[in-house]
Order: sequence, then C-alpha cells, then structure tokens
Amino acid sequence: MSHPSRALRLLAVALLLTTAGCTATSTTDAKPPTSTSAPQVTGPLCAALPTGTDPGNPTFLASQPVDEALRWIPTLTTFEAALRTSGTLTDLPTGTGVTILAPSDDAFAATFSEDNWDDLMTHHTDQLRTLLKAHLITGTHSIEDLVADGTATTLDGTTVTLIRTGPTARLADRADTVCADYQATNARIHIINAVLGPLPVTADSTGHRAH
Amino acid sequence: MRRPRPTLIAVSTLITVTLTTAPTPANAQRAAPPDQVTALTAHQADGYTTLAWQPVDGATDYQIERTPVDAHNTPTGAPTIVGIWRPNRQINQQAPTFADAGYHPGDTFQWRVRARAGTTEQPYSDPVTATTTAPWGNPATPGEQLRTQWETTHAAQYTSDTDEYAYTTAIDTLSDRVRVVELGRTVHNRPINMLVIGYPTPAATPEAIAATAPVAINCNVHGNEPGDREACLIMARQLAFSTDPRITDLLSHTTVLIVPTINGDGRANNTRGNSTGQDLNRDYSLIRQPETTAYIKMVRDYRPVAGYDGHEFGNTRAGDLPMLPPRHQNVAQPIFDQSQDMIEGHMYAKGAEAGWWACPYGCEGGGNVGLSEETILRNTLGLKNVTNSLLELRSSGGQTRPDEGNTANNRRRKTYSALWTFHQFLDYHRADRADILTSRAESIEIQAANTGRLVFRGSRPIPAHPAPHPGDSPPPLDAPRADLILDNAPCAYKLTDEQYNGARTDGPAGVGTTVAQRIAAHGWKVIKTGDGYYVPLNQPERGLIPLLLDTQGVEKLTDGERVYPTLTGRRNGPLVVSGFTCAANATINGPVTVQTGAALVATATTISGPVSATRAAGVLLADTTVNGPLQITNTTDAISIIDVTIAGPVNLSANTTGTDVPLLAGNTIRGPLNCTANSTAPTNLGIANIVHGPRTSQCAAL
Ligand SMILES: [Zn+2]
Repeated sequence: MSHPSRALRLLAVALLLTTAGCTATSTTDAKPPTSTSAPQVTGPLCAALPTGTDPGNPTFLASQPVDEALRWIPTLTTFEAALRTSGTLTDLPTGTGVTILAPSDDAFAATFSEDNWDDLMTHHTDQLRTLLKAHLITGTHSIEDLVADGTATTLDGTTVTLIRTGPTARLADRADTVCADYQATNARIHIINAVLGPLPVTADSTGHRAH
Repeated sequence: MRRPRPTLIAVSTLITVTLTTAPTPANAQRAAPPDQVTALTAHQADGYTTLAWQPVDGATDYQIERTPVDAHNTPTGAPTIVGIWRPNRQINQQAPTFADAGYHPGDTFQWRVRARAGTTEQPYSDPVTATTTAPWGNPATPGEQLRTQWETTHAAQYTSDTDEYAYTTAIDTLSDRVRVVELGRTVHNRPINMLVIGYPTPAATPEAIAATAPVAINCNVHGNEPGDREACLIMARQLAFSTDPRITDLLSHTTVLIVPTINGDGRANNTRGNSTGQDLNRDYSLIRQPETTAYIKMVRDYRPVAGYDGHEFGNTRAGDLPMLPPRHQNVAQPIFDQSQDMIEGHMYAKGAEAGWWACPYGCEGGGNVGLSEETILRNTLGLKNVTNSLLELRSSGGQTRPDEGNTANNRRRKTYSALWTFHQFLDYHRADRADILTSRAESIEIQAANTGRLVFRGSRPIPAHPAPHPGDSPPPLDAPRADLILDNAPCAYKLTDEQYNGARTDGPAGVGTTVAQRIAAHGWKVIKTGDGYYVPLNQPERGLIPLLLDTQGVEKLTDGERVYPTLTGRRNGPLVVSGFTCAANATINGPVTVQTGAALVATATTISGPVSATRAAGVLLADTTVNGPLQITNTTDAISIIDVTIAGPVNLSANTTGTDVPLLAGNTIRGPLNCTANSTAPTNLGIANIVHGPRTSQCAAL
C-alpha cells in the first residue's frame, strides 16, 4: 500500500540530489567524477554501509534532518534509539548545528551488558542523556577540522582529544572513526568504534546472553 | 509413531561410506586436478542460494567465493570469500551444502568453491553464475506487490511499528486468507497483533481455529533481536497471496498464527526488555506484564499444537540456527520427544539439504545459563503440551560468514535463514501432524494423571548429536538440584482469599494483576469451596501449576498450601462428598454423591457405582474408571473429565461454570453422551472421546 509510494519518493529524492548537488566537503576527492558534489565518507566501515544509489546512501542522507539520517545508518540502531527515546537531540538550541560522534552497535555491545543497557534506557534517563551528550559537539565539524583543532568539547562538558592516525582519527585515546563525515541537515555524523563518557564497562566476557 | 532419531542410522551408514570411498566419481568424468572442487551447483530460493559440490578427499574445509556480475557476466565488484564450510555443519558430509545469503535478492552473482587442506588452498572449482530470486511477490499483482520497510530500504532500516500495522492491515484487506486480530496492548499502548491465516479463509472463532491444530510463531520478544520479525512479515505475505499448491495445501490443513511483535515498546527502543525493563522471555509463566499475558491468553484460546520462538544469539562460534526444545523436566516426555524430533529429525536433515546450519543451542561452546526456567516461552509452551523450539539467528557473521558487519548483508542472512526455518516448521507440521497430535494427547493424559515427581527447576538432558553432526557441544546438562525436586506430588494447592484475590505490585508501575486473573489467563481449573480456592493438579498443565503455587517454586506467585489425597485404598459403601475431597489410587465400591458446593478430584481411582454431582463446586476426574453412570449438573466452578473410562451414560447439563470450558477429553464412554444447557459447551481439547452410544446436543462433536 504505502510502501511503493515510499520507495518512489525516496528514488525521486535521490535523483534530485544527484542533480542539485550539495556543499562539497574538505576531504580529497576519491570518487568518480559524477559524484564530486556528494559527501565523502571515509573509514574502513563505509564500504559495508549503504553506498552509491542504495537506500540510505550518504548523498541522500545529506538532505535529511539529522534524526532521520541516523535511522538510515544500519550500524547505529542502539545509539539512534537512545537519542530518540531520551529526547537528547531536542535539547539542542534550534538553528545551531551539531556534530555527532556516533558509537556503532558493536561499540555499545562491547561496553554495556544487555541488562545494564535496558536499565539505562528504561530507568535512568538522566544518566543516559549525560552519556549521549558525551557524543555531541555544537556546530557542524568535519573530522578534518576537529583533528586540526586537536580537541573538542562535548555537550557534557568533557574535552576530547582528536589526533590523526593514518586514514582514521583517534578520539580520547579510546575510539577510532570507522566511517566519518556523513552529512545531514545542519549536522555531521562520525561513526566511531567505542563508547565515550564515564560509564563503566559491564558487557560480559562470554560475549553472548542466553535467550 | 515419532521417528526415533531417524538420522542416526542413516548417518552411521554414511560415515562408513565416506571413509571407504575412493576419489569422487566426478574426477573421473573430467580432467580436473584431484583437489579441485567439481560439480558445483547453485540452487535459488527466497533470499539464499544453496551451493552444493562434490567433496574433495582430505579437505579440512571449503571457501565459498561470490562475485557480483552484470548481465554479460562481467564482474561489477570484487570477488569475496563469503562462506566457510566446516564438517560440523551438517549430518551428511559426503554431500556438502552451503546456504549463501546476505546479498540483495535479485542480483546476479558468480560463485566458486575451493577446498583447503589445513590452510593450503586448493584450486577453485569452475564458476557457476545465476541470478538470485527477487523479493517474493509480483510487483504488478495486488497483494503480492506489498513490501515491508525492511525490504524497500534494502535492509538499511527495520520495519517500524507504524509500517508493520499498515502492512498487515493491507494484507488483511487484500487477502481472504488473513485476519488480523489484536491480542492486547503493550505497556505503552501499542497493539499486539496476530495474523490468523487459513485457506480458503481462517475459521471464525478461536475455538474453531483450535480445532484445526494451529501453529504459532512468536517473532520478536527481545526488541533488539528483530531478524525473525522481518521473516514473519515476509512469510505472512507469501501465505496470504501465494498460489503455490504447497502453500494452499499447508493452509488447508492448519491455521498459521503469526505474532510479529509482542514487544512493540522494546522494538521501538531497540531494547531487550519491554518499556519497564522486564525481559519478557522471563515472564511467560508469571505473566506480570501485559505483553506476556496477551500471548498466554492466546495460547489458552487458540490452542496452538506447535510453536517457534524467534531470537538472535551473540555467540560467534555458533551455527546459523541454534535451536532448543522445551527441556524443563515437568514437560511431558512425548512433547519433549516430539520437539526433539522436529529439531533433530527434521531441521538438521533439511538444513543439510538447504545448506543452513541448524544446530543444538550453543553449537560450539554451548549455552551457559537460561535453559530450564519455566518463565521462558519455550518451556512454558512445553508445559502447555505444545511441541516447540527456540530459534536463534547467530547475530554476527561469525567464523563461517566472514563478509558480514552489522550491516544489510548480516541482516538479510539472518532474516532469510529465519524465513527458511519457519517454512520448514510449517512443512514439519503438515507431514507430522498426526504424530504431533498424538504426542499432545498423550502428554495431556500424562499430566492430568498427576503421577510422578515434580521438578521446580531443571532440564532433561540433550545428548550430543552423534558426529558428523551439527555442532560440537550439546547444551549443558542442567539437572535439577535435590532441593528442587518434590517426589510426593500433592493433589491440589489451596489458596486463601488474600492469596487468590489480593492486590499485587509485581506489574508495570507497581500494579500487578491478581493471582486469580493470572490463573484464568493460563486457563486452569479452580474450585472455591467454603474455606478457600483449590487448584487441582489433575489437569493438562499439571507441570506448570506447582512452579507458580508451591512454596518451593523458584519464581512463584504465592505460597499455596499443599493438599494431599484424603481418600486412598479401598472403601466400601455409599460415599457422600462434602467439602474438598481428593481420591487417588482408591477403589470405591458404592454410589458417589457430590453435595452442593463440594468438590471431587480423583486420579487412578476405580469407582463401582454411579457418580452424581448436583450443584457441586467442581468435578475433576482423570485416569479413572467409573463403573456406572456419570451425572454432573448445575456445577458452579469447574468440570474436567480426562482419560476416564465410564461404563454407563454420561450426562452434563445445566452447568454454570461461566466462561470456564468443561473438559471432556480422551474418555471411553460405554453409553450415550449428552450435554445440554451448559453455560459453555464442553471441549475435547482435540482429543476425541470414544463413545459407544449417541452423542447429543453440545457434545455432538466430541
Ligand atoms: Zn532473545
């Protein structure tokens, strides 16, 4: 019923984007000439995420509100749901850009046990929001700009160091960008492979939980 | 009869053959190097490709390579090792198969396979090229053209709650075979829907559907394990619109019950538990939450005879599809055996054909905890005499599927492996329906007989499947602790009014339903006599009752008082029953009269003489003989007659048990059976009675 029209809508948007173009990024052009205006995402995980004309590709996301864009990135299901249910993004002053250091699902799984995570999600909203704010920076910053500055202050008031390590950037000496420089409306999204913030690791070493 | 591990004989024969066979015949047919894989074939199915090949002597394992190609067979991407075939994948290693999945369905690929001896790679096979099967349903055919959000986004997004409702509503609207019913609401008021699917149309009422021996799939209890749910939604479309004779034949012989999302709040938040943080798969016996309550009431009303419960599993060393039967030791043996037959007899064999690695829960490294809790649906259903299995989809690609991050590749492999499993589940039910029903009937009679010890927590052993086998290690033994065994089972539990009707705080926001409401949701018989509420054990869910009502229960509702039989051995002369009377292993010579407000509960008892109850509170007889007529009228609370031989006419009339359905199942009646003017017509639970005389009125079909 509504699904074909959704698909058509998406297709139409994607087509519009390829012709209308958008702001070029500061990264070097490593893509075919036809997509010079597309956001250039970089990092080892990018190839496994939607590319080209796939639904959820970086060019399409560049025109999306940030909350919508986050829903399209398959490896951010934990982070996206936490931002959405806690309402943390709505705390941002309207009109200001945001840069999101988004831990992957694997990063969350390596940090929190399922019980701990459910407890945070259902019973400790304040703690959860603080955790999420440790991954938000005011203003839209490319990873190159952040590395050039060397430090950034997240919304929880923490100073995060950023250094270039080969093709990726290292944050707070514990996380690496795995796919950086997604764009969304008034936003940058850098996917990272570890959770920032002060909460202790509770994931159990057995790596899996019984059904 | 159930197949007593049919694969074992075949496998042991095959081992011998494999060990003694010379180089494969294919080598003789063509000039291939001796260590090159030959005879590679690619068979297409929904969302996966079964690759099969001639094995190579001395191979340690095999690598499966996939390359995307265009219509001219020109590569459009890099060749990638997408699979590792290992000997512990399947029961018959002389015919290796691998279900390659994760690609976008409809794309075209070239595959090659090579053996490795140790880590030394042997030459690749000749390539095979094929276009994979596109997502099911003709895009131009109404109904078939529906797609889920997961499908339209190429698995970048899971199907949202609102998209699920729109999709299932569209199926309901466009297919006569489907009716969507709302079972209840989540804590946050999301609907818990169930698709009821039958051919040409599903039966009208739950009781009529129960008579079709339905199958139930619980697709998504843990909100962060959504892979099975997407498979359920795709399968619902196939069942609703397919003209494949296999599908219409399946639906002509059962009703398929699909609950896509019992935990809509958890799914929306991507959390394991519901919105209160409760793990719902630790709540199916206690039913503290509205979600689990909705499911258990569905089981009571629709009476599925077989089930699957969908999950994802984080053990990277596991097979594709870890499965586990109801292991709790209070589950009747025939249900355990039938469930094992479904897993080991059917799924392991069919998995070896399709290339999916079904395996015992754990597979490698085993499972460690969480195996015998009756709070887990798998065990709860087993205790309710439902043949069933847990299904896990291995979360990550693991060691055997190296081309999966937590991305679309990974999501598609999981969902299409679940789709395969659920279709196999329907095929198993179709082929083994009679055995499943026999196991259910035997188990209900075993339970109602109330014999044998009670185990409050502890599992039946699951021996390792003999090598070559799917998986290296069985689940842990998980035997019951001595302090969790009760050798002397009581006849009933007695609850005070406070225990039965008192307010509780164990639900969402500190408000819990009463024990009375939970017992009603389970569908247990309760008899109120002057001094309390009695829950007899001689009923079909005997193994579950003590887990909730006995003081030794590990996760119980209350501390019921154990009531032991008051009447055993031989008794001569007329018996007038007042209050709560429990007979067990008794021989009663003389007429029995149950007085107004009294209750008679009997097991393994022989009564020589008529039994008459007028305005009794309850009559529950099981595994008993009545040499005389049985007359039950104006009963107020509960009637259950299971596996009883009655040498005389049986009359049930004007009983006012409200919505509580009188049970009349598996009895032999040497005389007429008459049921008239009862507030609810009796049911036989699908276990026919043998009646030598005419059956009339409300019991005409029993
Ligand atoms: Zn689970």
